[in-house]
Amino acid sequence: MFTLIKREMLDHAVYFLGAVIFSTLFVLISIPTILHYDPREPEIYAMGIGIPAIIILIICFCAMGASQMYNDRNKKISAFLTTLPVTRNKILLARIITGTLAILIFFLPLIITSSILLRLSAPPIPIYSGMIFEISTATFLMAFACYCIGLQTGWSQNRITPTLGGLALSAILVPLIIIKGFGLEISVILVLFIIACLIRIRHTFTTTPL
Amino acid sequence: MSENVITIKNLVKFFDGRCVLDGINLNVPCGCIYGLLGRNGAGKTTIIRILLGLEPPTRGQTFMLDAESTELSAKIRGRIGCVSEGHNLIQNYKVGRLIQLCKDLSLQWNDEFFEHLIETFRLPMDRRVKELSMGMRAQLNLALAMAIDPELLILDDPTLGLDTVARRQFIELAIDIIQKQGRTILFSSHILSDVERIADRIGILAAGKLIVDCPLEELKERVKKLRVIFPESAPQSLYLTEIVNQKIDGRELVMTVANWNDRKQTILETFKPSSCTEIPMSLEDIFIECTRPNPKVAEC
Repeated sequence: MFTLIKREMLDHAVYFLGAVIFSTLFVLISIPTILHYDPREPEIYAMGIGIPAIIILIICFCAMGASQMYNDRNKKISAFLTTLPVTRNKILLARIITGTLAILIFFLPLIITSSILLRLSAPPIPIYSGMIFEISTATFLMAFACYCIGLQTGWSQNRITPTLGGLALSAILVPLIIIKGFGLEISVILVLFIIACLIRIRHTFTTTPL
Repeated sequence: MSENVITIKNLVKFFDGRCVLDGINLNVPCGCIYGLLGRNGAGKTTIIRILLGLEPPTRGQTFMLDAESTELSAKIRGRIGCVSEGHNLIQNYKVGRLIQLCKDLSLQWNDEFFEHLIETFRLPMDRRVKELSMGMRAQLNLALAMAIDPELLILDDPTLGLDTVARRQFIELAIDIIQKQGRTILFSSHILSDVERIADRIGILAAGKLIVDCPLEELKERVKKLRVIFPESAPQSLYLTEIVNQKIDGRELVMTVANWNDRKQTILETFKPSSCTEIPMSLEDIFIECTRPNPKVAEC
């Protein structure tokens, strides 16, 4: 399994590099932003950091998933790997672990920095208990859901279904985030979407002729 | 383990409504070198792909090393070496990296034998796979398949793109494997002289059916090509079962018959031919006769 993960990481090193660069960039931006946070103008922070971060998330992680699957299909990588002592399930699992690692590389520094800075900043920002955890969980799941849509799009020749799935997810999530903010409901919807996506990806990946 | 390393039961495959394989039944016993022959598009590669679990069957079942092809575990896959048609290696990898990947993923790796093969084939480690010639890619694929010391070796047109010297090297390697006890090889090829040299059992596919499945010697024994000369013009009413092909030209009748036996000989003699001589047939001749459009019967 480690060999397969290593292979995926080396083949998609550019996404890991991108995750490191963007993560560093967001950490650098978040330091002055949180330290000079003005609670009277929260929309500035939302527009300045939140929205670009979400757009980058959607594009990058969706692209990573799509690129992993498209390259495999195009270069017949799985067709070769399955002639070795490797099953399709293992190839897919290694791929998903690699994607998760890239998402964590992007998020972890950002979450750690934000947590430290929010506690250090003075005057104290009115945060409710568990806010960091809820936002982190929801954004991580959102990134993972985007990655899953990418996997689905990259493997399937039918581009319509995954695109419609992504649109439906966005249509549900965006109003929910605006109305209720990041919370348990968002995480539950995302988890359900991810499970459905993973089941579908596994089915198509293990049954399609290679 | 059962005595058959490969078992195919009533295999049917449709592509876009077109029947490519029509009820194939095939057993390859342990230690057998099975040559699978057929014209382009006959379904050889499809059978191999279904066996390897790369393609799902429409109906029927295939088994390798007692495991169903659709559920081959990593452990079973580790006992099977494979050289696929077109040599689907990872094209953008350098040779050295591809070898390392295969080595890391393999359950066993014969370093000494692999080094010997690499030296024999003079494969450059620092070049990308896509930069290699077709022949070099075939050699690399073959070396990778051989290095795991496989119990079952599946070769789909392995000598495609190899020059004469490399082809000879390949045959010698195959013979080397054959000499190791209990090794089984399934291979398809268009170069019938190669097949004739190493195969001990032959299967011929035509029109989606396995029309021949028997030991090579038996095939040569059973399929006869006869030149029969009659005192007057050759009879149109001569009826023998299992005539693969026949051609009448004046007094001369040239026919290829499957399962030639005394009974057929007696029937032929009732027409009082002036002479009846057997024309020696190579595997290539038999193959051509069997795969002509609408051959009558050629089952052994």
